[in-house]
Amino acid sequence: MAAATGRAAGAAPAGYTALAVKFAERQRSPHCLLVKEHQVRDGTDTAHPPRRTLFVLNVPPYCGPDSLSRLFSCCGHVQYVDICDKPGPGQKKKDKSASKFFDHKTQKGFQVAYVVFRKPAAIQAAKTLSQQGPLLISTESHPVKTGISKWIASYEASIVDPKELKAEVDAYMQDYDKKVAEEEAKAAKEEGVPDEEGWVKVTRKGRKPGLPRTEAANLRVLEKEKQKRARKELLNFYAWQHRETKREHIAQLRKKFEEDKQRIALMRAQRKFRPY
Amino acid sequence: MPREIFQDKDNLNQRYHRKRALYLSHIAQHLSKEKLFGSVKFAYMNSNHLKPILLLRPQGKDEKMVTVRLHACPDPGLFKPSRFYPSKNNVRTAWFMEQGTPKEGATEPPTPHYNNSILCDTVMLSHLHLLSNAATDFPGMKDGLALLKVWLNQRQLSKGLGCFSGFLVSMLVAYLLMKRKIVKMMSGYQVLRSTLQFLATTDLSVTGISLAKDADPSLPVLDDFHQAFEVVFVDPSGLVNLCADMTASKYHQVQFEAKRSMEILDDRMVDGFQVLLMTPKPMLRTFDHVFHLKHVSKLQGTCKKMQLLNELMDRGGNYVAAALPFIVSLLARGLSQRAQLVAHSLPQISEWPIDAEPPKHKDIGPLTFGLLFVPEFAASMLEKGPQADHPEALEFRTFWGEKSELRRFQDGSICEAVVWEASTVCQKRLIPEQIIRHLLKLHADIPESSICYRGALLESVIRTGKEAWGTGEEAMVSVVCSYDDLSRKLWSLKELPLTVTAVQGVHPALRYTDVFPPIPVKPIYSFHNRRKHLLLPSEEKPCPAYITPLKIICHMEGSGQWPQDKGAIKRIKAAFHLQLAELLRQQHQLVCRPAVTHTDVYKDGYVFRLQVAYHREPLILKEVVTPEGMLKYQDTEESRQLELETLHLPYLTSSLHGLQQQHPVFGSTSRLAKRWISAQLLSDSISEECVDLLVAFLFLHPAPFTPPSSPQVGFLRFLTLLATFDWKNNPLIVNLNTGLTDSDCAEIKNKFAAARSRLPVMFLATPKDQWSSMWTRDRPSAQILQRLVLLASESRRALEEQLMDPLSDQDVKMVFRPPLDFYDVLIHLNPNQVPRHLESVDRPVKSASRGVVKNSSAMNILFPVVDYDPVQLYLQELRVTFDDLALFFYDKHGGEVIAVLWKPLSFQPQPFKVSSMKGRKVTTLNNELVCVPNVEAILEDFEILGEGLVKSVEARTEKWTI
Repeated sequence: MAAATGRAAGAAPAGYTALAVKFAERQRSPHCLLVKEHQVRDGTDTAHPPRRTLFVLNVPPYCGPDSLSRLFSCCGHVQYVDICDKPGPGQKKKDKSASKFFDHKTQKGFQVAYVVFRKPAAIQAAKTLSQQGPLLISTESHPVKTGISKWIASYEASIVDPKELKAEVDAYMQDYDKKVAEEEAKAAKEEGVPDEEGWVKVTRKGRKPGLPRTEAANLRVLEKEKQKRARKELLNFYAWQHRETKREHIAQLRKKFEEDKQRIALMRAQRKFRPY
Repeated sequence: MPREIFQDKDNLNQRYHRKRALYLSHIAQHLSKEKLFGSVKFAYMNSNHLKPILLLRPQGKDEKMVTVRLHACPDPGLFKPSRFYPSKNNVRTAWFMEQGTPKEGATEPPTPHYNNSILCDTVMLSHLHLLSNAATDFPGMKDGLALLKVWLNQRQLSKGLGCFSGFLVSMLVAYLLMKRKIVKMMSGYQVLRSTLQFLATTDLSVTGISLAKDADPSLPVLDDFHQAFEVVFVDPSGLVNLCADMTASKYHQVQFEAKRSMEILDDRMVDGFQVLLMTPKPMLRTFDHVFHLKHVSKLQGTCKKMQLLNELMDRGGNYVAAALPFIVSLLARGLSQRAQLVAHSLPQISEWPIDAEPPKHKDIGPLTFGLLFVPEFAASMLEKGPQADHPEALEFRTFWGEKSELRRFQDGSICEAVVWEASTVCQKRLIPEQIIRHLLKLHADIPESSICYRGALLESVIRTGKEAWGTGEEAMVSVVCSYDDLSRKLWSLKELPLTVTAVQGVHPALRYTDVFPPIPVKPIYSFHNRRKHLLLPSEEKPCPAYITPLKIICHMEGSGQWPQDKGAIKRIKAAFHLQLAELLRQQHQLVCRPAVTHTDVYKDGYVFRLQVAYHREPLILKEVVTPEGMLKYQDTEESRQLELETLHLPYLTSSLHGLQQQHPVFGSTSRLAKRWISAQLLSDSISEECVDLLVAFLFLHPAPFTPPSSPQVGFLRFLTLLATFDWKNNPLIVNLNTGLTDSDCAEIKNKFAAARSRLPVMFLATPKDQWSSMWTRDRPSAQILQRLVLLASESRRALEEQLMDPLSDQDVKMVFRPPLDFYDVLIHLNPNQVPRHLESVDRPVKSASRGVVKNSSAMNILFPVVDYDPVQLYLQELRVTFDDLALFFYDKHGGEVIAVLWKPLSFQPQPFKVSSMKGRKVTTLNNELVCVPNVEAILEDFEILGEGLVKSVEARTEKWTI
């Protein structure tokens, strides 16, 4: 292990700078963060503005956005930190209606992060961090919870307040009902009214309900068509039809014979006749 | 043997046998000088010590292939046959007792076995002629006999004293040929079938048969034979009983096997050949309970106690052979209601070199007995006898000794009765042990110390509780009762906007297969951190006891009011959870805690987790709209998961619940199996449902055995199934509720063979799940299955050796202790933070208090800490974080070690890639930049992530140094 610490965080692929990072002072072997300036073509990634975004690879699981922003705050003011599973264009800041109770996504494991500074100069400052000693994620002033204390906290967080939940559900359902009612009203208004090209939309509702547009219904129709056609068609009417069916029959027999042969070979291979 | 060496009266007092032995040893001495023979040895014919034979084996590599058995027999006309009728005496008591002068006036007892053994030698040649006559122009006989011999051999019936030997079965076929039950046109299969049919329907211990053609009035009749022997099959001469040494019990076993085999042959669902002829049936796997008589020399005492001097004389002093029939019939009488079969192993004496001492009677090793139970009666606590004033009462009293007492019954009768003490199901299963120990002590003078009973040794690993000595069946029943009550309450809830249409349990405890069933508890407030109305685990104290939430699916009625949108359905379900909690609190005073995906209900000391289900939700999750605007249904991970939870799991649970009602030991067997898998650290690598189904298979398709009636035999068969089933080429079809016909099975097999490469490595088909094998879809992987098969076969071998060897005093828990030397890293945990510490295989002597007390009637309490297991949370985190680097193994029942195995593939140096940097570092190797796992840091991460839980991380290999 001693040898490992010696060459810590030295090597880095082109374009990247390696930063050693440790959980706390008493850890001996650091992980290494790889950082570089985030580069994209202009306008493709609006969430992470170019020139002042630092792209960080290999962020350890116990290192959250708060810790990251604290680690890099010495280089310049950090606007925000975005942590995700794999690199990619980030979404614009999540909409405010995001629920407290539903659609939780927990991210764990080693991740990548985008650190957005206010000023581009901070990027260079961040790269020079490699000359200093390893960065510390959990310090006395800012301890990071792991293990038992973290699990107790998350157990506590998992217990919901019924009133709050009820309020949220009610609000959502009101919105939903309103949306559904609007859609229905819109559909009712359009019912039977031709659009500018003269097409009339046929829906499930109304006087003449159309076929539902589902796969099952489609298949049913196709099946019916096929049956109808089969009833009309004369089998083996022409000589070539006769020949064709015969040939097909023989081909099928051959195929079956081959399959059976294979099966018997398999059975023979797995036979283990050892009665004594 | 030449006539000249015999004299008058050589029939008496074993003179003939001694001369015969002398003659043989003379020949042996002569032959041993011959270079032609590799070895010349003595052996007893069918382990009968009066009948030595000579075994000759050629020199060289053929030694193992050929053995010539040299029998010595006299001239046919040497003795007068009438001297050897079954009622005649040929061994004088005075001679046998080594007394000088015979007592006056005492009548000498008949010696039928002795007579028979001499007669046997005289008719050997004629038997040979008979068989070769029968076999001419009858090609089917040879094949049929080969099959029959294999059949007998697989059932361990063809070797030892009193066996059903190959010669005997040949004579039986000759008899059937004579009686025209078999004709010479028949094929080998038909010979097998007819013979089994005959054996199944004829009880030779009651109605004997004879090969003698013309009744000579001077010869003894069958009744004479029946008086002298237990099983009667008379040879063509009308003098020799071919089944002389066989006990009635052994014949009944043959008969039982034949019956069972006929059923299997007629059953079109099973592959009769494989099951009947290719599957060995050792006693341990055949019988529900097995016990050994450690020292057969104790049987000498038995002979004395039972006054078996005449039999001893008859058997030439072989006390085992003399006492065995009496002991077996004693046991059969004692267990009459409970056991359908009481069988014994056949005493066997191995061959010995000609210059060594011959083995003694006690050298046959321990004698093994097997019991096959009638499940309804095996565990009954009462043995009701005749009414007190009946004459049979005295007999009953002498049979049961002081255990018998007068009892007054509910119908007013006063009867003799024996009551056995047992308070739990587990103890009740061992009532036969009490009976056997009592009877053998009372009547056969066999001390308890020399009986080694193998019935419930393994059950200690699923034992629960400290004070009551049980294996949790009672706990399971009380859980189910509480659940039934809750479901009734749910049905009758008022003021619910939609009615409850079905309540279905999905937790293993509700199908009796939870390894450690929950016990009713109440939290101690002071042990926890209290925050307003919340109890939280405290960091300073040990982890609180693990309380399993018992999951219940609550189906709500379908209605137009349900929204048709994923998000909205989720909210509505949450609203239902809130309302259920509220209504249960108001109408039934239950403590509830609602959450988004469920509601926890504290009832009778258990915590039930209600989950609302809407039957159209999986369908809505499957909806996909194609670009053309067409609605398609496609399985998604989410919909599949939901279907599994709300549709298939409840169905499986109720089916297995039904199976438990038919087979009371199903649950315990499954629990043992799961305990073993978890003890081998593989419980997360195979689903619980899959194990349940494997065990269900043993009960639904027991052939060639009978359904297990004790957890031990079930577990042994489970290991055998796992180890010997050909998972690669065959689907395992579990015909739950007999929902599959034989044509369905054939179809499944065909489709399976066609699509093998796309199917899971372990393929289970059930009536409701014929093609997808949903319980084994993701787990186990091929490597894990391979490991499981290996572990199963090793465990079975070790366990069977231990159980069959009464003299060694090894710990049977050995197979429940996993080998750890094969893992790369061991993470040792702090036992205080392992909530299920008490469940470990070697129960710790002391374990921290867990902040709960047993209580099933608490009302109005603060909700206990539910489903909080730090180890599981830790494992989850480890698996998510180091998914591509390592595998983690843990025994969830109180393991103190997490075993880590590095994945070898991810330890090869890789070129740098942005997406694969997780936990790696960049180094230069041969002037190239490559990524390798940063093992030192990862090992420290193990400690950081499990802060407070991890005691130490022990790296055992240095595999990662590149």
